[in-house]
Amino acid sequence: MEIVVCLKPVPDAETRLRPAADGTRLDPEGVKFVLAGYDESAVEQALLLKEANPGSKVHAISFGLPQRTEEVLRAAIALGCDTATSAEATPGNDADAIAVAEGLRAALAGIPHDLVLLGKQAGDDEEGLVPGALGELLGLPHFGFVVDLRWDATAQRLRFGRVTEGGQEAWESPVPCVIGLQQAWNDPRTAKLPAILKSRKAPIAKVKPPAPSPDRPRCELERFALPPPRTGARLIEYRTPEEAAEKLVRILKEEAKVFP
Amino acid sequence: MTPSVLVVGEVGAGHLALATAESIGVARSLAGPDGVVGIVGGAGASSAAPEFGRYGVGRALRIDDPRIDGALPAAHAGYIAAAAKAVGSDLILLGGTTFGRDLSGRVAVAVKGAAVNGATELTWSEDALQVRRPVFGGRATETLRLRGRPSVVSLRPHAFPPSAGPPVACSVETAPAATVPPALLSPKRTGVEPTIQGAGPALADASIVVSGGRGVRSQENFRLVEELAASLGAGVGASRAVTDAGWRPASFQVGQTGRSVSPQLYIAVGISGAIQHLVGMMSSRVIVAINNDPSATIFRVADYGIVGDLFAILPPLTAEILRVRGA
Amino acid sequence: MPDFSLSPEHESLRDMARKFARTEMVPHAAECDRTARFPEEIYRKAHALGLMNLNVPAELGGSGLSLFEQCLIVEELAYACGGMTTSIIANCLALEPILLAATPEQKQRFLPSFCEEYHLASFCLTEPGGGSDAGAVRTRARREGDEYVLDGEKCFITNAPHASLYTVFATTDPEKRHRGIVAFVVPRSAKGLTPGKDEEKMGHRASSTSTVRFEGVRVPAADRLGAEGEGFALAMRTLDQTRTPIGALATGIAQAALDHAARYALKRETFGKPIAEHQAIQIKLANMIQAIQAARLLTWQAAWTIDRGQKGTLESSIAKCFASDAALHVADEAIQTFGGYGYMKEYPVEKLLRDAKLTQIYEGANEIQRTVIARELLRAYS
Repeated sequence: MEIVVCLKPVPDAETRLRPAADGTRLDPEGVKFVLAGYDESAVEQALLLKEANPGSKVHAISFGLPQRTEEVLRAAIALGCDTATSAEATPGNDADAIAVAEGLRAALAGIPHDLVLLGKQAGDDEEGLVPGALGELLGLPHFGFVVDLRWDATAQRLRFGRVTEGGQEAWESPVPCVIGLQQAWNDPRTAKLPAILKSRKAPIAKVKPPAPSPDRPRCELERFALPPPRTGARLIEYRTPEEAAEKLVRILKEEAKVFP
Repeated sequence: MTPSVLVVGEVGAGHLALATAESIGVARSLAGPDGVVGIVGGAGASSAAPEFGRYGVGRALRIDDPRIDGALPAAHAGYIAAAAKAVGSDLILLGGTTFGRDLSGRVAVAVKGAAVNGATELTWSEDALQVRRPVFGGRATETLRLRGRPSVVSLRPHAFPPSAGPPVACSVETAPAATVPPALLSPKRTGVEPTIQGAGPALADASIVVSGGRGVRSQENFRLVEELAASLGAGVGASRAVTDAGWRPASFQVGQTGRSVSPQLYIAVGISGAIQHLVGMMSSRVIVAINNDPSATIFRVADYGIVGDLFAILPPLTAEILRVRGA
Repeated sequence: MPDFSLSPEHESLRDMARKFARTEMVPHAAECDRTARFPEEIYRKAHALGLMNLNVPAELGGSGLSLFEQCLIVEELAYACGGMTTSIIANCLALEPILLAATPEQKQRFLPSFCEEYHLASFCLTEPGGGSDAGAVRTRARREGDEYVLDGEKCFITNAPHASLYTVFATTDPEKRHRGIVAFVVPRSAKGLTPGKDEEKMGHRASSTSTVRFEGVRVPAADRLGAEGEGFALAMRTLDQTRTPIGALATGIAQAALDHAARYALKRETFGKPIAEHQAIQIKLANMIQAIQAARLLTWQAAWTIDRGQKGTLESSIAKCFASDAALHVADEAIQTFGGYGYMKEYPVEKLLRDAKLTQIYEGANEIQRTVIARELLRAYS
């Protein structure tokens, strides 16, 4: 199988979130951009499929600003990916999901792909738009929220689960297709030290997708803000416990917006 | 000038899903009662389509293509794009369900528009749509401006109330024709396994955590905390007093020497808020405290509090949550 | 050394070690300290990821890191747990004499098979009658044909109860003192080699330490490292290499102490405000970070010097001595910052003081380090 795994450089989990001076985005000063979250699962899943189907190759691609994509790609190589391609974004153009999908499509042009694997959503913006957008651009079926992804070489079909509100669906699909992965069979592996050292010298192919036209429809980041600091609990007034319950649930739903 | 909004409906058990009702609510507030058109397809669409009227939408399109029944969500995209074009939609709204989120990026490319998932606020103006959404697990929010028409937005589940109507008569037409690429029809769904209730998420992964403290008074009473957690699909934590007393294993402990959690919602029941516990949960996005003692430290870090007897508060709270979620 | 920045390679190594330390070591550090448990499963994981045998060249099965790179890793591991780090890097100490003095044939014979699988090794120099006085080795090595017979006892040997391999310093003639010392590689299977039972220690309790008794242990002459009489110099050259990472180990402990203290100081309130706003605490924290930065930079300088091929005795002694004293002081101040809570085992800081203490004693006690420093520095004036 030729497996392409698309990775997004995201801020490290320990990053202190600070808005930039102009308030429009996260202040990138001192932020480490790493391979994380569902993307790590995607790499793990790709490597598991490679191991289960000898002769397979895993190609890592990352779309973003060059220094950031390089770090993520080297991490992917250290884990066991066979090739790495950096698709360069220009600053300001790295956030719009459709632009990302277009960038990935350009990078994919030269790489054989039976399976295009992504994490179901990125660790920073958590949007999950790219798998669908990329599927549409490539004219391929795509599935998000995928678990338990296997390749049935006899039937030449991918078999997997898709986790929805109603339960877990079971699917089979021919290739090529695009998958947004929720969970691999195993926890993501850790790269060994010799592989890490070797990955630093690995070649990374670079492609420069065409810049999108300035008046195309797009998403622009206007503001990035942290919630205001805590000032002490707002105590809910009530006459009966039922009223307290009702009020709290309503607050959680409508005001705090954390109701499941 | 108000936008024309196309609401993509979803069918659950033969009816329009709650997520669709929420989308309609947003659509009507942006577009007014006459600016909203609904579209729905797949199994059950025939009976569900007229229900747009119940939520105050007078015009609905029904995708009449049996091939998309049971097909992957992507198969709907061509029809939605064709409908948006025919109707002249400025905005396409979807629910934040797995169906909606899988579809939004697809539709955006098909209509050549910009897209956002998980919106918690929408503001429409002449030249652009402004959308606010949480990022970094809710630790921050971003505001986006979508340029170009139509835009495609899926909403964060339960961030908006369902449309309250009033009900109108709904005229249902067949949705404009569209091609479905054969590639989208070859994947097959081979089964569905309903979700098993009861098993809660692990503490580390849980987006909601309910913790109990010394206030529950006994091992048996801790069950009230667990019932509240189960009603929310939440992980269960405990203060050190509880684990020291042996009421629950040490793995439940949230705090200095236990685990640190930072879920979207943390509910502290019968917990006073000693610093050893606070350091383990203070970075949760929303904190609710339920405690008998109004001067308990926990109320200083919580966002919302109920001062009262947890034995009186928890059962109706659990019941109310189940009622709202079941609806 | 004008450029103080880390290359991307250095950062990758450090990040990898940090990730391992935080996810694998930290969750078990307190429990292993409390119960003095030897967490073999963690050491096996460290080995599987290439975090052991850091000094052995890659072609002989190790990770082949420079001393600077080793220090980056050791600091991260020690941040999580000093005791576990001691056991992990004890292999480097034990294997260094082989790297320095073995013939190519011996290196091939000992190292690849040792490094490939999970194995621990122990460096056996210290004896009940001589710690700092390393020349006072009394373990006898009697030549018999093409074998030596070893008799004697070593003590305070890290990893001894679990090791597969021991590098042993013995003497052919105690009268000759350091000129009589000779080094050997001895496998665990050697008849008459008996590790003692695990000592109950003040700190580094996840590490295992015991005596090793040699009773008529037969060692082939082919397993001797270098010539008779060269053993003491070999031991000193070994310590020249291994001293610097102890500076990194001490720095890691100190950094952990500061992180705990600073975070606590921001949360804990007295007299109506966080204690971080009280001058007494601010002065402590300021002193702590000065000590840590200095310890780290001295360690880095020593590593850089030795990586350039220089002997670096002065630099490495300064690094080890300063960093270990700093670690003890910083851990002490961290406990003081926590006040009463710092004295409780429930809180993580008292362990750091107990772990820091050993760094002043082992790998060359700081008193000896100071005499070495004096001797080295006076060279410049004579």
